[in-house]
Amino acid sequence: MVTASEPMVPPLIAAQLNYLLTHSPLSIKVEQIWSGSKNPPFLSDRFTLLIPFCLDYIKWDVIYNAQNPLVAPDIVFSAADESFHPFSISAEGHSHSLKNVLCDWNCKDPSKLLLLIHELRVLYNVYQRKKIGQLDDERLKFEISTIHSREGIEVCMNSAPDKANEVKFSVPLLDIDLNKMVHGCTWKHRQQIFLQVIFPISRKYSLAPTAPRIKLVGSSELKALFPIEDVKLPPWLDGMCMAEYLPIIEDTLNTQIVEAVAAIGARRRFIEALAPLFGRPLEADPVFCRKATVFACSGVFTFLVHLSLSTQFPKQQPVLVLQSSQHFNSQGTPVMSPPLTDYPWSPRWEEPKMAERIYDFLAEECLNFKKFGSLAHV
Amino acid sequence: MDNDLPLEKIAISGPTLASLIQRFSSSNGDVDGLLFGHVTQPTPANLLDDDFPSSSSISSSIRSDSPTLVANITSFFCSGTLSSFYDSLGQLNISALNRCSLGNGKDDQQQRLIGWFVGRRRTPLRPSMREFSVSSSLSSKTLETLNFSQNESISISPFPNFPPCVFLLLSSPLSDQLIHTHDYRAFQFRRSSEVFEPKSIDVINIGPAFRGHYGAFSPNSQFPWLSCAMKDFSSSPSREMEIVSEDDKGKEESLLSLKKIAKEQRGLDSCAEGFEVGRLSKLVGSEAVNYTLEVEDLYGKMLAKLEGLARLVEKSSALVLEQERCNIKLRNKVSGLE
Repeated sequence: MVTASEPMVPPLIAAQLNYLLTHSPLSIKVEQIWSGSKNPPFLSDRFTLLIPFCLDYIKWDVIYNAQNPLVAPDIVFSAADESFHPFSISAEGHSHSLKNVLCDWNCKDPSKLLLLIHELRVLYNVYQRKKIGQLDDERLKFEISTIHSREGIEVCMNSAPDKANEVKFSVPLLDIDLNKMVHGCTWKHRQQIFLQVIFPISRKYSLAPTAPRIKLVGSSELKALFPIEDVKLPPWLDGMCMAEYLPIIEDTLNTQIVEAVAAIGARRRFIEALAPLFGRPLEADPVFCRKATVFACSGVFTFLVHLSLSTQFPKQQPVLVLQSSQHFNSQGTPVMSPPLTDYPWSPRWEEPKMAERIYDFLAEECLNFKKFGSLAHV
Repeated sequence: MDNDLPLEKIAISGPTLASLIQRFSSSNGDVDGLLFGHVTQPTPANLLDDDFPSSSSISSSIRSDSPTLVANITSFFCSGTLSSFYDSLGQLNISALNRCSLGNGKDDQQQRLIGWFVGRRRTPLRPSMREFSVSSSLSSKTLETLNFSQNESISISPFPNFPPCVFLLLSSPLSDQLIHTHDYRAFQFRRSSEVFEPKSIDVINIGPAFRGHYGAFSPNSQFPWLSCAMKDFSSSPSREMEIVSEDDKGKEESLLSLKKIAKEQRGLDSCAEGFEVGRLSKLVGSEAVNYTLEVEDLYGKMLAKLEGLARLVEKSSALVLEQERCNIKLRNKVSGLE
């Protein structure tokens, strides 16, 4: 969040920048913000934006002019994109959106910068596609021509100086709204799983082209629902193209997502089954049901039990950590037990039975923990 | 066709570049403006003998492809702000462009519009989205459409259709440094390929090392061309210095140029206040004492006039400064800073 006071961003520019950062579905970041004035007050009127594109970030410098706050900002693109000329691309595609945004520029309307950046990003994708289309690579030309019907695909050329040139595709998978599938979810941005496909650029047509490097990509927030790196990718067969591969991986992924959403229900039922034995949990993750903390006592010895449930629950049993409320170590923090997983468990039990068996296990284990606590206690 | 010929380099005289940098670095914000000058084709240093007629055609065709033109920047106009002659899309505002280039490039083939410049502090030294668009619009205009059509100048000018395709970008480093650094980079906008081609800048400086440069460089001053030497081009240099008092040789000149000469002569006479060159002979002989007194009197009057002028400039400068302050206040009000 950029406040108007620190660094000194003129209010109109601050309003547009804040609107962009808070209202864009893309998680755009500001890398740097600075002033182009010679004299004080050094009004900050230029900044570098990090804009997500093709599972990476592109850096654009947005240059306002504090002396001329009514004029629309200008953009300097990164050095690698010196041939990106949005006006020519929008003229070729007979699109007037960019022109309209700039012609109707109103410095008092905070949404204008967002419109400009989004429109430029669309044109940037067109530019990357054109650039790849001009490569002398039959396979890439074919891939580009067969994915026209799918929406949201982004492409870019990776041309690191020390590496071989590659073309990266970012394909959004599954036309379903994950945010709606998870009841009461707290995700700020719309969750989307992407398939990243990286093709090497080959100058000649080869009969046995090498398989591209493929990888599933999702946000870190998605890990609460299911770990995307654990998904086993279907093999890319010889001579396959993306149009063939995408339905296969979408099928696999769809089954796993349905399972992952169903697993939330199982975890919720388990946490609910703890209540009759331990009393209402002190804390519980209400959305993904991955964590719960209950209060337990044995005679006068009271302690907390932290339960962590993996996405593989009930195949994997919950990890228990006990925390004493009576013993403290030399740093003054409560004594904790090591993670406990070695207790009787069967995924086939009903949830009340699972809770009951944990209760029985803890009735014995707490004596060990009390001894452990007294030793650690100073 | 000479409307998209490649430039070999861009030449600018030291004082012009220094003054441009000074204008930019003393302004509070970003600035843009126009560049004036001319395009020349220096004689190649490695002229070949035509001993081999069979190969000469090949070598000449190669030579015509390689860039040999030099754009010479001789003066500039700084608007003091941005978007002075174009809109946010980078489309030209022709009337504003004409206003900016007033007094330049109209009737002097040495001072045509050859490009534009932008100075923006602490930004990358790469053309921006809008700068591309402005250069693209500017270089697609020929002189006719830009309303600079002075038939005589076009016929004299060596490259009449050369578009204003030079772009000079000035900036300063992103991070604050102890040493003041002025970055600049010059480009030629190529219409055919729609790209900015970076060009080297030749800064022509004063000093013995640059004597060679000045041989090919024609400096320009804003001082008007005085008609004193118009009467005879074939005459010796010493005769050219004579003042045209009896206009008998100007009969062949057209009426128009006669009028022009007469007007300029009147301007000169009014400055001389009766002390025309003819009276210089009185400096020697018997009348010398009186004459010296008269001349001293004239000098005294001139100094008084200069002082008056200086005072006028001082007053108007104060007014300009006051207006500038008022403008800053208004701007701050618009951007909600008050």
